[in-house]
Amino acid sequence: MKLVYYGPALSGKTSNLRAIHWLATSRTCGELMTLETQNDRTLFFDMLPISMHSRAGLKIRLKLFTVPGQVMHDATRRLVLQATDGVAFIADSQRSEADANRESFFNLKKNLEENGIDPERIPIVIQFNKRDLENIRTDQDLISVAKQSRETIYKAIATRGYGVMQTLAGLIRETWVRLEDEHGLEEKFGISPLQFMSEIEDQLKHDARRAGR
Amino acid sequence: MQDETSAADILTGDVVRLEDVLSRESVTSVSMSFFDLFRLPVRVISHEGDLLADVHRDQPLCSYLNTLADGARKCAATVATVRDLEPTADTIVHLCFTGAVYRVVPLVYQGRPIGRFIVGPYVPSEANGPPPSLSTIDGAVDRETARGHYDCMPRVREEVAEQLCAHLKGVIELLVFSGHRAQLASTMHVASVRENYRELAEKNEALKESYDDLKQLDKLKSTFLATVSHELRTPLTSIIGYTEMLESGAAGALNEGQTEFLRTIRGKADELLGLISSLLDLGRLEAENLELECEAVDSRALLSAVGSTIVPAANRRNVTLEIEVAEGTPKIWGDPIRLRQILLNLADNAVKFTGEGGTVSLSATEGELTAGGPSGLGTALFATTRRAVVLEVRDTGIGVEDGKLARIFDAFYQVDGGTTRTHGGAGLGLSIVKQLVEGHEGIIEVTSEVGRGTLFTVTLPAAENDA
Repeated sequence: MKLVYYGPALSGKTSNLRAIHWLATSRTCGELMTLETQNDRTLFFDMLPISMHSRAGLKIRLKLFTVPGQVMHDATRRLVLQATDGVAFIADSQRSEADANRESFFNLKKNLEENGIDPERIPIVIQFNKRDLENIRTDQDLISVAKQSRETIYKAIATRGYGVMQTLAGLIRETWVRLEDEHGLEEKFGISPLQFMSEIEDQLKHDARRAGR
Repeated sequence: MQDETSAADILTGDVVRLEDVLSRESVTSVSMSFFDLFRLPVRVISHEGDLLADVHRDQPLCSYLNTLADGARKCAATVATVRDLEPTADTIVHLCFTGAVYRVVPLVYQGRPIGRFIVGPYVPSEANGPPPSLSTIDGAVDRETARGHYDCMPRVREEVAEQLCAHLKGVIELLVFSGHRAQLASTMHVASVRENYRELAEKNEALKESYDDLKQLDKLKSTFLATVSHELRTPLTSIIGYTEMLESGAAGALNEGQTEFLRTIRGKADELLGLISSLLDLGRLEAENLELECEAVDSRALLSAVGSTIVPAANRRNVTLEIEVAEGTPKIWGDPIRLRQILLNLADNAVKFTGEGGTVSLSATEGELTAGGPSGLGTALFATTRRAVVLEVRDTGIGVEDGKLARIFDAFYQVDGGTTRTHGGAGLGLSIVKQLVEGHEGIIEVTSEVGRGTLFTVTLPAAENDA
């Protein structure tokens, strides 16, 4: 299962992956691979492999990718997006970044289409990151947009690990349901989405608890 | 097409064969240093069963046993067994009949087995001499010799061996990680470059299309210009003709007022005809079908003729007109009508833009014309120099700003709107002049200083065999 973290520059995509890497148990999580430039900006992508085992013996392998957010790396973003199963869109909560968020989302839509992926059908969740900063969209505001939003909305402070696992679990759930619809995974592997998610969430919950500490 | 998907394959696919991300040399070099440090033999085998590194020294005990039939058989069996062991999660410790130990350690990357390495044979320090099994192989074995060889085997405590193996596993897995990262980075790099190229190529294609469209439009404009001017000229000719007839009294005698009005109509109609002729010229020049009837033209006669034409205008504005032709100036090779048009245009402009009390001077000297790019690369190789006539039209007028100088030869360009109103004209003159000069294989240059005046220099080929 390939999941891509998309979003504008400096919205915290890599921070999300770092937090997951830090929170997840070393048994589930592989090494975080980052390909970055000298000044710490993502050049090509980051990649975090995760593998989980269901009780039925099924092994689920996830690959989390981030795209480079800077506008000039559009070609790379398009390449990373190829054959993705789900997208977590990391938005910057700061009011000043609203335009950047929108622009990046349009770019996501365009690049999905160019890769032959229907943006209407692929699972997308939206995370409003940087909830700890000043001048952000209020919780009240997010609650009201969440009601209208087709995408599930999460709040996070990726640098401290808050909300990161919830976003990931949410994305995995939606992606699994979608894959189930398309490929009938239950029949093939004898595992229902519900069962699958409760197992995944068990493993992730354990990790999320570490964030609380 | 296949290449284009490779980045995606690599991104979604896995490692990956060990030998794809690690060279045999690097694996061997790591194994070698491990062997040098701890005297422990190492073999690294990929998941596909390829032996990537094999660093060991033949043990005297093994060599000795291999000289015995039974020993050789058992030894081969052990080696084969160890080689085929494929641990998935934990290290397998295999005991040889000699009492030596092999450790088979799995190599795992991103949760998948990618190979294994074998450390051994070595003798655990905890062991109390060779096991009885060593002496049970066929009777030929010499206990003392075997014991002596056994004591020479590398020794290490099991606990240490475990740590060493964990260390080596860590090192190799880290190498795989780095190798994989480098591989992904370079694949991605190439793919990005290709993707960018594709994008640029698409944009170039679009640009080329719009360029072609524009060219088409430009052509349309020229045709339109030519057609319209032509169509405008026909009725205008009638207007002028009938005006002339009225003036000459063909329709009866006219009073003074009527004659005055007719003169004005005639004057304006001539002005209009001049403008339309310019447009037609431009149209022809742009279509590049201007026909020149070249002959040797005398510079002095040319300048004088032009001078006498503009004298009235110069007098009206109180502008002094100077004409100077240097001794020995050759004749110009050109179409006399067009040459006159060039100079008249420039001189007329000069008078127009020169204020009260200024001076306009026309001069001709001998010069050189370099064809094949005046200052291009390799001028010395490509350029040919020929004798030429340099015609200069200098005024002491308002001048042109540097930034606008480059555009004054563009059709319909006016230095500014204000000037248009003060000085009239459609901005076609200089454009036509430039095209006419170039039609003669000459060059036209302009220098100017605001407030001080402007100098146009026209260099035209000289007629050959002519003094």
